[in-house]
Amino acid sequence: MNRLADDPHTVKEDPMKPPRMALTLVIFTCLLLFGAADALAAAPKAAFDPDKMADMSDFDPNNPVIPTGDTIKIAVVASFSGPAAVVGQIYFISVQWAAHDINKRGGIMVDGKRKKIEVIKANHASTPAETKKVAERMVLQEKVHVLWGTDGSHLMKVINQVADKYKVIAQTTAALSDELYDETSFSRYSFMSSFSTDQIGRAAAYHYGKVRKKEKKFYILGQDYLFGHSLADGFKKGLKEYYPEAELVGEDYHPLFMKDFAPYLQKVKASGAEVIFTGDWIPDAENLLVQARQMGVTLPFANIFLDEPNMLHRVGVDGTTGLVHVSQYGSEGGFFKTPGQIKAYKAWNTLWKTKWGPPYNTRLYEHGTGNIGSYIQQTYWLLSVMERAGSTDPEKIIKVWESDSYQLLNGKVLTMRACDHKVIQDLHVEEYVAPAKQRESFNIAPYFWYEGTASVGPTVMVPAKSVLPKMDRALARCKDKSEAGE
Amino acid sequence: MDPTTAMYVAQGVHGLAYGMLLFLVASGLTMVFGMMGILNIAHASFFMLSAYFSYQVLAVFGSFWLALLVAPVVAAAFGVLCERLLLRRVHAFGHMGELILTVGISLVILEGVKVFWGTESLPIHVPTILEGRLALGGLDYPVYRLFVIGLALVVLGLLAALLYTTRLGTVVRAAVSDAGMVNALGVNVPLVFMLVFGTGTWLAGVAGVVIAPILTVYPGLADQMGMDAFVVVVTGGLGSLWGAFLVSIILGELNSYGVQFVSQLAPVLMFVFMAIVLAFRPMGLFGERE
Amino acid sequence: MTSTARRWIGGSVALAALLAYPYLFGIYFTNVFVTFGIFALYAVSFNLLLGFTGLLSFGHAMFFGAGGYGTALALTHFKSLPLLPALVIGVAAAVALALLLSPLMVRLSGTAFSMLHLAFAQLMYVLALKLRAITGGEDGIGGFPVPPFRIPGLVSVNMKDPSSFYYFAAAVLGLSVFVLWFVTKTPFGSVMVGVRDNPKRVAYLGFRVPHTKAVVYLLSAGFAGVAGSVYALFQNLISADALHVANSFTPVTMTMIGGVGSFFGPILGAAIFGLISELTSRYTERVDLVVGLILILVIMYAPLGFMGFVDAVRARARTRFAPRGATEPAR
Repeated sequence: MNRLADDPHTVKEDPMKPPRMALTLVIFTCLLLFGAADALAAAPKAAFDPDKMADMSDFDPNNPVIPTGDTIKIAVVASFSGPAAVVGQIYFISVQWAAHDINKRGGIMVDGKRKKIEVIKANHASTPAETKKVAERMVLQEKVHVLWGTDGSHLMKVINQVADKYKVIAQTTAALSDELYDETSFSRYSFMSSFSTDQIGRAAAYHYGKVRKKEKKFYILGQDYLFGHSLADGFKKGLKEYYPEAELVGEDYHPLFMKDFAPYLQKVKASGAEVIFTGDWIPDAENLLVQARQMGVTLPFANIFLDEPNMLHRVGVDGTTGLVHVSQYGSEGGFFKTPGQIKAYKAWNTLWKTKWGPPYNTRLYEHGTGNIGSYIQQTYWLLSVMERAGSTDPEKIIKVWESDSYQLLNGKVLTMRACDHKVIQDLHVEEYVAPAKQRESFNIAPYFWYEGTASVGPTVMVPAKSVLPKMDRALARCKDKSEAGE
Repeated sequence: MDPTTAMYVAQGVHGLAYGMLLFLVASGLTMVFGMMGILNIAHASFFMLSAYFSYQVLAVFGSFWLALLVAPVVAAAFGVLCERLLLRRVHAFGHMGELILTVGISLVILEGVKVFWGTESLPIHVPTILEGRLALGGLDYPVYRLFVIGLALVVLGLLAALLYTTRLGTVVRAAVSDAGMVNALGVNVPLVFMLVFGTGTWLAGVAGVVIAPILTVYPGLADQMGMDAFVVVVTGGLGSLWGAFLVSIILGELNSYGVQFVSQLAPVLMFVFMAIVLAFRPMGLFGERE
Repeated sequence: MTSTARRWIGGSVALAALLAYPYLFGIYFTNVFVTFGIFALYAVSFNLLLGFTGLLSFGHAMFFGAGGYGTALALTHFKSLPLLPALVIGVAAAVALALLLSPLMVRLSGTAFSMLHLAFAQLMYVLALKLRAITGGEDGIGGFPVPPFRIPGLVSVNMKDPSSFYYFAAAVLGLSVFVLWFVTKTPFGSVMVGVRDNPKRVAYLGFRVPHTKAVVYLLSAGFAGVAGSVYALFQNLISADALHVANSFTPVTMTMIGGVGSFFGPILGAAIFGLISELTSRYTERVDLVVGLILILVIMYAPLGFMGFVDAVRARARTRFAPRGATEPAR
């Protein structure tokens, strides 16, 4: 027997063996083909580099520099009027921040030219009819390249329909419903870069069952519509998966814009619950929290939207300590790990302190993290995809985006799942603590997020593979795919 | 008291508190719509405006009681201005004219609060004296809600006393019943109407200040409360203070016990009740006016 | 030129413009026109009750919504349902609702009628939100198949194409408006006006007022249902905000802006309203302020609406230029 042939460390040319080059090529090709299997562990295709950020000191959301001419047009579809006008303001500053940065760097190279980003406000006035009209106007008259939005999955659905009909890219950045990308609603022109209801619920359950392992009795109190129910279903599913010893001691769904939560809170009190799980957003979120604390219900809320600083300050440190927040823009072990991250944060925070006028000088915009941070990064991702596609042609964008992964400023990696355009990402569960303890998360001076309320402290990372977004098997594209995407 | 009974009693008290909250908002509307027949869609907007004014007073002077004194008056002043300059002219076009005008006013107020106070929610705190909870026989009840109940009863008492025992009240009721005759008797009817409208708006203002510490003060507050106030007034009977009071309590209890026992159906109960009452008595329970 | 000749020419030009519209103005404005058409019919159906019978309906959205939900549900559950039957089912739903309410409603008038209507409309709204399994709650019913317009053996037109839908909608809505206009011109129409102006007298003349009211009520509801039905087909979505009180206020506003007294007032109002809506959505975020001020100003200074304004101008023109002898050549 040829001992040399057995020895894996000897590199000997055996004429009967295939040439090393060819073997390497075969292995390389195999790796490429099955690269998706390693998608979760592989390096991201692109990353946000804070060191490349332009000088943002002239950024003023009240006097935005909007380029004209041959630009890349992004329509931010949101409510800019009516009672929910604050949402449009938040989206606009987020998208404009990223656009301003890229524009100052000279724009991006698409279709053979350097083009700047033009952000256009598209007011949907919170109704489906108006959403359809404004989305169509954006596409047909303004000739936008991307429809960016929005709050309210029923409105995002309309946007996706318009995107699909006229073959324009749509980016779901703030609507959270899994159903937007199921068999009946899926459009290959629409990409969801935000997290979704099923995985959010499961992330919360994971936190309680796998990490915290303390409380066992949960009460679900949600809004009585698709979003509230989907979220609750995700939580229940997660409890079964990750926390079978948990007990669901109550489940209630209240109508939207509820005024008096007292009857519900009374039931919660009587049930012996230790944690209340809710997906409520303002005003329900604020009414719920405020009234709960007034009634002496001091239980922690596992939530997504109880992070609004005005509401938190109203309740104060005692009432907000212990809140458990599921975040799509969290960071474990300290929010600021690299000089680049500190630089980017300070760029925003300094402007907020010194330059911006109403409405952008309120607490809501102080840090530029949380949801605002997420929206900004999701926009950078969009622009990065366009840059690498080198084109505004939707087909080229789809090709790049479908297999893309992007690292955000805070280190998180978002990986696009090709078959249903949902994003695979780690999620984070943040515990709210008193200002003195916030340095665990806010690890640079002044070592707190807010002085007047509890805020992010210890943060737990929920690995992506434990909270893969829901996949609709009825969707033909996903029929034979695993949830990890391959 | 054993826990289950305590819970049911607690729900009962909650229902009362919520009912009184409704009554505070609806009482003004019943005066304006019920008595004067003016359809005022902007009623809830004045309610919201007063809540915002109270925030302002609190921010500058720090006193809830001062806010309670001042804010409703300012809101009432706005209301009276609207009545004097605007509403009076569209009276001839009946409800449709009033509807359009007051919808217009409510939209302007909506924009106004956004311009002056922003689009975000404002923090208003329960005054320190009224913070905390009272232990009433096994029940742990927020003091502030008891205050709301008390205040609503005081308001009801004052209004009833005003309308039914004072001479002014008689004049008001007469003017509302037959303006022409009262005018012929030499009473300044436009002034009386202005007074009634002002009082109605003032009541909405009081409700706004009182409810602000419990609810979120944001631009959508008027939309949240508006429909409820109408349901109370229409079901209780146009023009009837007692009707509004009774229906408020019924709706409050329906809400509480609805949530307790048939949680999913609770929001529908209010409207089913209203539909049933109106089907049998289109004028409302104690309706007087056509 | 005789006035009849003028009318024929004018009509033909209008018809030609209508037919050529999609090609002249593009997809976006075609869709804007369809929306205008839907709300024009909705407002006309509303004015049938107000302008002609004197009943102020504050909850008309429930008929609009019934039409929409009827059609949407039918298309969701009966997979191969053709277009026209789906439309008819929507209308039937609206008429059924009206039938249910009419025994109560026709005995009322004035404030009681308005308030009761508001109450029931709000009940419908809350039910639509609550019965999520059927109505889809806040999110509504969407994505149902919109079948092509088919005359078996002759033609099949794809309704997903905006131009084709435009022609379909224009035909349906136009026909509906014509039918309603015709009704107002019949003797029955005169009875309706009589009921508005002096119900007692009409009763003395031997007409049964409640029955008249009921017929008008059903007509009004049915055609509001047509509008709602076309709306659901157009949007490929029907949700609870079609039943929201704001949607009940819309025809009121449009009618007032256009002019209560005339049949065509609401149509004009819908057009003006659509125009305002286009302008505000393009040029300002302060939509609430602009619309609010317009409403206040119009009701204060032009309460008879646009048609009232036109009439006033015409009256003034007449008195100015009148006594000059015959203005029309002998025929």
